[in-house]
Amino acid sequence: MLSEDGIENRHGPPGVNSRSLSSVHSAADLEVLREIEHVYFSPPSEFDAGRHVLENAPSPPTCEAIEQMFTKLKRQQQVVSGKALHLISQQRDNCDREFAEIQNIREQLTKTLETCRQAREHLRNSSNHLIISTFVILANVRKRQIIRSVLKSLELLRSLRSVEKDVADLLNRKEYYEAIELILKSRKAASNHKEYTCIADLATRLQDTLDMTEEKLDSVLSSICYNFDENLFRKLRKAYDLLGKTQAAMEQLHMHYSSAVNETSVEALKLYITEASIDLKFQEMCQSVQPNKAPICLLNLCENLFLIMRSYYLLVNWHIKHDEDETLPTSNNVFEIEKNVSREYIRQKLKAGLIRLWHEVQAKVSTFLKSSGLEEYAFEKFIQMLGILRKLTQVAEVFCGDKSDILQDFIKTQSVSYIKNYHRGRMEELKLFLENEGWEQCPVKSTFNLLNLQEFKQFKKYLSPTKADTSIVKSLSDGASSVHSQDDSVYITKYFNKNTNHTPFEIFRNENVTNDDIFGLEPELEASDESDDEPEELKREFVDEADRHEYSSNHNEKSLESPSRVKESVIVTNTTLSVLRNCGQYLQICRYLPQISLEVVMLMNQLFDYYFYTVHLFFTSDLDVASSTLYTTKLNLVLKRISNSIDTNSGDGDAKSFPCPDLPQHLDMTSEEKLHGLSERIVAVESVIFLAKQYELLQPYLESIVAPHQKLLLEHFKDNTLAVVVDLRMPIYMCSASKSVDARQSLIAMSQVKWDVKAVAVEHSPYVDLLTRKIQVFAIRLDDISSKITLNMTVLKSIWSMVSKFIVHLLVEGFSNATKCSNAGRGLMQLDYRQLFVKLEKISGLKPIPYQDYVDRYVKAYYLPRKGLEDFIREKTEYSNKHLLALIACACENKRDRQALTAIIEGKDVLN
Amino acid sequence: MLILVTEYLFKFLVIGSAGTGKSSLLNNFIGNKFKEDRCHTIGVEFGSKIVNIGGKSTKLQIWDTAGQERFRSVTRSYYRGAAGALLVYDITSRDSFNTLSNWLRDARTLASPNIIILLVGNKKDMEESREVTFTEASQFAQENELMFLETSAKTGENVEEAFLKCSKTILAKIETGELDPERIGSGIQYGTGTSKRLSAPKKPARMTPECACRV
Ligand SMILES: Nc1nc2c(ncn2[C@@H]2O[C@H](COP(=O)(O)OP(=O)(O)OP(=O)(O)O)[C@@H](O)[C@H]2O)c(=O)[nH]1
Ligand SMILES: [Mg+2]
Repeated sequence: MLSEDGIENRHGPPGVNSRSLSSVHSAADLEVLREIEHVYFSPPSEFDAGRHVLENAPSPPTCEAIEQMFTKLKRQQQVVSGKALHLISQQRDNCDREFAEIQNIREQLTKTLETCRQAREHLRNSSNHLIISTFVILANVRKRQIIRSVLKSLELLRSLRSVEKDVADLLNRKEYYEAIELILKSRKAASNHKEYTCIADLATRLQDTLDMTEEKLDSVLSSICYNFDENLFRKLRKAYDLLGKTQAAMEQLHMHYSSAVNETSVEALKLYITEASIDLKFQEMCQSVQPNKAPICLLNLCENLFLIMRSYYLLVNWHIKHDEDETLPTSNNVFEIEKNVSREYIRQKLKAGLIRLWHEVQAKVSTFLKSSGLEEYAFEKFIQMLGILRKLTQVAEVFCGDKSDILQDFIKTQSVSYIKNYHRGRMEELKLFLENEGWEQCPVKSTFNLLNLQEFKQFKKYLSPTKADTSIVKSLSDGASSVHSQDDSVYITKYFNKNTNHTPFEIFRNENVTNDDIFGLEPELEASDESDDEPEELKREFVDEADRHEYSSNHNEKSLESPSRVKESVIVTNTTLSVLRNCGQYLQICRYLPQISLEVVMLMNQLFDYYFYTVHLFFTSDLDVASSTLYTTKLNLVLKRISNSIDTNSGDGDAKSFPCPDLPQHLDMTSEEKLHGLSERIVAVESVIFLAKQYELLQPYLESIVAPHQKLLLEHFKDNTLAVVVDLRMPIYMCSASKSVDARQSLIAMSQVKWDVKAVAVEHSPYVDLLTRKIQVFAIRLDDISSKITLNMTVLKSIWSMVSKFIVHLLVEGFSNATKCSNAGRGLMQLDYRQLFVKLEKISGLKPIPYQDYVDRYVKAYYLPRKGLEDFIREKTEYSNKHLLALIACACENKRDRQALTAIIEGKDVLN
Repeated sequence: MLILVTEYLFKFLVIGSAGTGKSSLLNNFIGNKFKEDRCHTIGVEFGSKIVNIGGKSTKLQIWDTAGQERFRSVTRSYYRGAAGALLVYDITSRDSFNTLSNWLRDARTLASPNIIILLVGNKKDMEESREVTFTEASQFAQENELMFLETSAKTGENVEEAFLKCSKTILAKIETGELDPERIGSGIQYGTGTSKRLSAPKKPARMTPECACRV
């Protein structure tokens, strides 16, 4: 377009372009141009040419000078105008060209403008379109978001509404933690949405649900009392943890245990009482239990209470284990410390709870026992009850290490009173037995002893006479001494195991269980020699006829010369057996109640006393001879002692004494043929002696079951009662012996003998034959008896010694009736009694005849000098004054001596 | 402790051959367990129970005798003065039935001709081994004026009834005056509940030594 030069030319001062113009213009013109002051080239706005000229007007303003100046200025103007014209014409083409250019540019600009305009129009269109859809989208998005949040809230509300149901479902599935969690979350959610009006409602409902759930938890918690389910408890525990109520829950659980004890106790009783008494207090309920149902009721009670104890025990164990599992390292964290404190609190609570629960259980059982009329239990039931209680004490020891002193004491006092009551019953029974006793020998084997009785089966190993004493004591110490042995607790612990649904009490429901099983006593060992001492009496196959035959074969040769045949006899009566059976039962009681052994043993001894006393009472009632030398001192003491405990007035004596048995009416004790009931007397006396032997057999065992300091009592009984029974033979056999010869008739016969004869006779007096005949009859009748009962040598001997004792006394009596007696008469006396003794020896088999000294000494005293006589009458107290006076009368010829000695004898009387 | 007031005391016998279940019956009656392997009774055993008969509390004093022959002599002394008896046989043993008349004779001669006897066919539970029919035994009972029941000591069937039936009959006879409780050896005594008491038999006064001997 515009060239550079053109532009320069156009814009530069005219002076600068002079080179190009010079060729066209004349030099003069150039000169003129050059002379133009420079200021004239200034733009008219800045330079006022007129003014400039005026100011530079020549001084003095002469016309010439002005003309000259005018001309110059005119010239200059011509030159400049020419020049300018020249320049303009010179630049005309350029201008045209430029103009065209400009025109061109103008057109282009118009075009551009149009394009711009169009572009803008387009732009405007498009921009309008874009903005509106965006807004719609945005608006929609926003809407959607709002709806979404509304939906969420609605959903929340819906879920809040269904919380109840969900919680119920969870609870049913035993997911307590989840249930609580759900409720808590819901509650939180609800509190975040307070803006909804319905939320307020829901919130209260949630609270209700929470309360209900807690109640439900509580009821599940209470079910723990009856059966500790570890999983269930863990769940509960977690739930309570979440609730922050672990400690409170534990408190609550303890209350549940207490009420479980109460409820269970009532439940256990309910089955056994009438409908009407169900609302009563526990104690009254106990009283209304029918007595025959009491044992089973006690069993139920203990068993149910045990289940609660087991549950608690497992609870405690769970905590111990649980604590171990997550013992927290001691930390300073406040939260942790708090947790540890709470845990410690629970631990203490649980520990104390063991004892407390046991005391509650103990109280229930004691209440029941106190009100259940224990004394009325049958023996078996009583033993069973003891077993139950014993088990309970063992349970307690495992449970909380308690020795159950209360219960033990209670058992002891109750047992003592039961035993006393039981004993009273046995004593009454014994009285009946004795009054009805036929005093016939009970046919038992000759080797019979108490071990053959079923009641002593369990004691065989302690009592077997063949075994050494040491073994007795040894086996005893582990059998009967300790109530709680190590094994027991291991055995009981088994039942505290969570995996068992057995209880230590179910053993009592088993019909076949023995008392030993119940008491955990060692079962009897089946000894290899068992068959030897098998109680044949008790065997079904026992053939009694064969036995009977054996007895009678003994009597084919009844002579006393073969005593070995009869040596083995055992004489027992029904009553003896009954006493022994009772002893067996008493000893069983001891086994189960070692703490009252002594009391029981003393009662057992009372059975013996009573039997002993009764035999004496029955069979000496007709003793018709003065008895001073028949009774040993010890025998007198025993009888005196026993009679203190026997109420002889048949009135209502105090509780300590027992009524005296009535003399039996059915016994024939007067028949001479039967030697005045000698057979019964023998059976009676020998049965007491046998019984004493059995008691002695028991002594080592008895000593082992009582406390060491109590042994003396037993020894005393043994020495002063059991050892004395043989002394009973004398007075009782004397009853028959004294009737063997007719005393009156014999004395008359003796009085007919003349003792003051001059010559010594060669023939004994007739009364000797009389006596001999009587003795022979006695012997025959005694034989009859021995065909019915087996008599051993000792029995025969003691019977015969009583006969001879009686005869010896009869002789002395007869001799003392002689007021006159010669030397030869004294000889006759000797001849008579020697003859009699020879006969008696033959008949009785006794050699020498006992007590013969008595008559011998008396008769021979006749020969003593005065001094000897005096000593004799002073020292021999066994002779009566009558005897002695008669002796003096015969022996002293000197009247003064006679008087002196008589005075001594009579003086003796005064002295006594 | 409750003191039971009783109006009467009856003496009862249980007799019959060995193994017929006498002891089992008694034990069942007084409330003990049944034992399969009970031993033979030696001599006699005793049990008592207070029962209520027609409103009257009565104590039964029951003597369980051994059935084995060898104990006959020992058990005889207990027959004396019994008011009632259960005569037991075993329905599964003809032998035990056959010996009934011997037992019956003993009871009537040794106890009292008026003794009330109830015939008991025991072991009723063992129907499959029965050897003695009900009719046969009823006839025997009728001929000998006995009451009759079949029992089982094992199941307890009729056990109490047997004792009660016998007691009721005794009581009825007392009330009609057929039996006199006052008669010595009646086997009946007034109990603790009545003021009437059998005058205690006089004890024979201790004989004064008529013999001048000192022994
Ligand atoms: N099946 C069954 N067995 C019985 C019944 N009664 C008794 N027995 C059994 O018969 C056997 C004998 O019973 P006991 O009661 O000893 O007989 P008992 O009459 O007393 O025998 P003695 O004492 O010897 O006179 C025992 O083994 C009992 O178990 C009964 O009713 N049914
Ligand atoms: Mg029997």
